[in-house]
Amino acid sequence: MLAERGEPEDSAFSEMLDFSMPANAEAIARVVDAIAETLTRLSIPEQKRLEVQLAVQEALANAVVHGCENDPSKQVRCQMKSDPIGRILIAVTDPGPGFSPNLLSDPKQGGTLYCDHGRGVYLIRQLMDKVHFTDRGNEIRMWKY
Amino acid sequence: MDINVRQRAQVQLIQLRGQLRLGPPVDELRQTVEDAIANGDNRFVINLADVPMIDSSGIGLLVRFLASTKQRGGSLKLTQPSKFAVQTLRLVGVLNLFEVFDDDDEAVKSFA
Repeated sequence: MLAERGEPEDSAFSEMLDFSMPANAEAIARVVDAIAETLTRLSIPEQKRLEVQLAVQEALANAVVHGCENDPSKQVRCQMKSDPIGRILIAVTDPGPGFSPNLLSDPKQGGTLYCDHGRGVYLIRQLMDKVHFTDRGNEIRMWKY
Repeated sequence: MDINVRQRAQVQLIQLRGQLRLGPPVDELRQTVEDAIANGDNRFVINLADVPMIDSSGIGLLVRFLASTKQRGGSLKLTQPSKFAVQTLRLVGVLNLFEVFDDDDEAVKSFA
């Protein structure tokens, strides 16, 4: 079923994975690897799998580092859904105060090229087909068609 | 991530295996390169043939060490990056900051 703008409605997607994980890097690796294995099992092509995998890595890293301030007593939720033709929906939610993604600077500007941070959300937007942050900014939903 | 370091003609040749991403992989590579820089090394070649994915923290580390080695008169060069690593570095606009080689020998010789 397609929405008015030609995009799939969320109801077309069925849940594949639903993780609640502690806010640390080791948990990120475990969740990303589990998603990669599921995408492989779904016969998702390698290029698309790597793009989703990296986008999830970045979304979880933002949730852990910024949303949870690297406090492993806090929990991050990551859900993955897919539809019958291989489209993927990923949602990552953290308990933090959220942020305004539109205020992020462009990491490709000359003055910031050598910065060691600030590329995560930009990468997600480049890798995924559609990205939406909730109004509060503590949940990202991203689609790969 | 496996990190193997060899010295060849006053160049630190670092072979990585695994995903270069937030957490132990990035922390261990940071420590390895910082230790070498503290010992006076400023010429590095990093082989990325077995690195299928680099995340933004890995990219940040590579560009930071590129800048710090250049400030010390050296450089950090990349060899055999995977197709997706090249795409990722290009996406964020940093691929052209690096010298990229097809093999380690060629990269080591380029320092001469």
